[in-house]
Amino acid sequence: MVSGTPIWARYFAVIFIVCTALFLLAPLFVVMGVSVSESQFISFPPQGFTLHWYEKVLSSDAYVSAAWTSLWIALTVTIAASLIGGAAAIALNRRSLPASGLMSAALLSPLVLPTIIYAIGMLLLWSAIFGPISPLALAIGHTVIALPYVVRTCLAVLADTDPFLEEAARTMGAGRLQRLAFVVLPQIKPGLLAGGFFAFNISFDEAVLSLFLRKPGLTTLPVQIYGQLEFSPDPSVAAVSTMMIGLTIVLLIIIDRTLGLGKIASV
Amino acid sequence: MTDRLENMALVMPGLLLLGLAFILPVLQMLVLSVSGPDGFTLEHFTRFLSDSYYLGILWRTVRLSALITLITALIGFPLAYIMAKSGPRLRLWLTLIVILPLMTSVVIRTFGWIVLLGRSGMIPSMLRDLGLVGRSFSIIQTESAIVIGMVQVLLPFMTLSVLGVVMSIDGRLEEAARTMGCSFMKTIRTVVLPLSLPGIVAGGLLVFTLSASSFVTPSLLGGSRIQVLAGSIYNAVTQTLEWEFAAAQAVILFVGVALVLVPYLSVAGRRNG
Amino acid sequence: MSEINLSDIHKSFGKVEVIPGVSFSVERGEFVSLLGPSGCGKTTLLRIVAGLETVSSGRVDIAGTDVTHLPPEKRDIAMMFQSYALLPHLSVAENVRFPLRMRGIGSRDEQNERVKTALDTVQLSHLGDRRARQLSGGQQQRVALARAIVSRPKVLLLDEPLSNLDARLREDMQVELIEIHKNLGLTTLFVTHDQEEALSLSDRIILIKGGRIEQEGTPAHIYAQPSTSFASQFLGSANMLSAVVEDTGSGPMAVLGDGQRLPLALDEAARGAVSLALRQEDLVLSDASDANDGGGLKAKVRARVYLGARNRYVLELAGASLRILTGNDQLFARGDDVSLTIAHERIRVLAP
Repeated sequence: MVSGTPIWARYFAVIFIVCTALFLLAPLFVVMGVSVSESQFISFPPQGFTLHWYEKVLSSDAYVSAAWTSLWIALTVTIAASLIGGAAAIALNRRSLPASGLMSAALLSPLVLPTIIYAIGMLLLWSAIFGPISPLALAIGHTVIALPYVVRTCLAVLADTDPFLEEAARTMGAGRLQRLAFVVLPQIKPGLLAGGFFAFNISFDEAVLSLFLRKPGLTTLPVQIYGQLEFSPDPSVAAVSTMMIGLTIVLLIIIDRTLGLGKIASV
Repeated sequence: MTDRLENMALVMPGLLLLGLAFILPVLQMLVLSVSGPDGFTLEHFTRFLSDSYYLGILWRTVRLSALITLITALIGFPLAYIMAKSGPRLRLWLTLIVILPLMTSVVIRTFGWIVLLGRSGMIPSMLRDLGLVGRSFSIIQTESAIVIGMVQVLLPFMTLSVLGVVMSIDGRLEEAARTMGCSFMKTIRTVVLPLSLPGIVAGGLLVFTLSASSFVTPSLLGGSRIQVLAGSIYNAVTQTLEWEFAAAQAVILFVGVALVLVPYLSVAGRRNG
Repeated sequence: MSEINLSDIHKSFGKVEVIPGVSFSVERGEFVSLLGPSGCGKTTLLRIVAGLETVSSGRVDIAGTDVTHLPPEKRDIAMMFQSYALLPHLSVAENVRFPLRMRGIGSRDEQNERVKTALDTVQLSHLGDRRARQLSGGQQQRVALARAIVSRPKVLLLDEPLSNLDARLREDMQVELIEIHKNLGLTTLFVTHDQEEALSLSDRIILIKGGRIEQEGTPAHIYAQPSTSFASQFLGSANMLSAVVEDTGSGPMAVLGDGQRLPLALDEAARGAVSLALRQEDLVLSDASDANDGGGLKAKVRARVYLGARNRYVLELAGASLRILTGNDQLFARGDDVSLTIAHERIRVLAP
């Protein structure tokens, strides 16, 4: 705080931070609490402690197959978005392309358009051309949504590098592929890693597109959870949610290690 | 010349994906929204715009989105300011607290609110036990539930947007204002707030857009009686299978979002040169 | 024979022609500076030699081979960048090895040997394992230098490599650069906007203005005999005075705007309207009241700036303002009338 901050403002800040943190984290804590409750019904605060609901999730075909579907799609999306977005960011960072401003605006545009509009468009187009929805349709859709995040983190990382590295490498005899492999790739790596984990997280947690592009047998975890919530769920839905929260925390730690959380906040 | 070729080769997959899997679907949707059995028609739009039920949905969507935007700004600005003025360690923790919910699936967060706000949930029971509300009091399946849930879902967007701007304000400006006789609050009002405005406006537009277009949280917390535009689109696609009508409603949403965003983007783009 | 040869180089960026036809050459083992203000095209010329910019027309030869259309990686050059351009993910030694790896020079052991020699040359062999970004600015500079000489290139190109260093380090590096240049017999092309740096390092200076060569020659020649008013102002920041040269019985005489007269050297050939270039350090200042010298120009002190060992005066003379540097032995105050003298041979008479 700037010196000379009045004492009441300091107290207010502390109380405000505590309340806001509680508000932001409350739903997550509640879900975690419900997941270990002995009660047959969803209730909070939890009664007793049991890991029964986790067992139930792990032995449930519906949840396990949804988890596999989510995982495969998320991995595909991670690889596709990292490759496509990283390559585009390298080219855009060089600023030598005509209309590179327009191109980067285009690559970032899925951020601005509400997902529901895109989802309905994707459903209509895919049905018109290919007929029934397939996992590929969902993977492509998620890649489009995740792409801007990869492009943005990679561009932010590249913007911090010395713009003369590639030229210096040329004067030292590095050819086109050598420059990409030995100069550009090592520079963009943290952005690519962080962007890739973002892409995984986005695809794994995404609900809107997955709800539009679903058919029997193609259910991702968020869709499965949504379906349970529409009826009267038992605490196993909390157990699976808690596992997903845990995965998110792991991803956050990895992203912090590769790029730094402070950096993400400003991307 | 080969440099340009290399760059084109690198950017091409992205542009192709965007053209084929993003722009084309949106165009397809636009086309379908004006298609009827006999070709071009505006009947889906007239159906929406002449039915007071749908107009009510539209009005509720706008009203709730505006309210949600206002509340996120009222919480998000002080939160971002305190984060900016905290030490690096505390700021890292606060950033984590903001980002963790952001990266958690909307479905899961909404689930948490269902538990908290439900008929026998913690918050209504507490209020009833304290005697603040009557026996039949309920939050879930009201607009209040939607607002509470949506504010929690969208607050991180507002906070991060404002934080980026507040962090870039030169701290000496505040010190200078204090030496010129401004009190703490007056400094916030006359120096920090005006300089943070670009972040608040950008965050506000983002929150408004996202809130106008979301249906997971509103439909789970508001129930089927309190319908919003995005929920109505989802119903038209999955329940009644009226895809043309769904497309028309999506276009109405699209136009609304464009009306809000395009003036801002063009102004912001010009400012960035 | 010349190691670098540029003939009739033209370069345009879009519709703007930044190099409107330049030719020069650099002899083997020579240290040549391209000197000029920012935006004069000197860096573009250097980048053309490196192959980082293509030419619109003209021809570039390095070591007798036409390299005009060769990319930089195929040219036998090394370049030091203003930002050093060290690869942040590599150690110091790996950075120095990089050109050998890329050009496929030598076996692994030979490469190690050459890296060690190069790091010894810049006295950094003890830091080989550090990451580049852990070094200070001066150390990064040395790594960049080691990296530039490790492949023993025919041509060393330096793009203002000293401009990011503070004054002390810069002087040390200048000495080091000259020693390395002499010891290795490198052909060096150096770009700078700093006239002192160019004067102290170069065998030859090429002064660039607006993409053209304004003047070239040895440092002593170009400093003592600037051929244009730009050259005399840029090198030594001379005062420029408008005057008209007339013949008198006692030789040519410059008549200033206010009628005061200044005798010129007897062999001065110019007549009519001219510009006089008067160096700050060549002008001698004395008290106008004991005007026993008679021939001094009358001027008025407008300001004095104390510089420690010296004083800088701003004088008013014939409607122009003059800056001069003097010692501390006689001080004048604002408003004092003073008398200025200058040796005939120190006055440069230039086209107006």
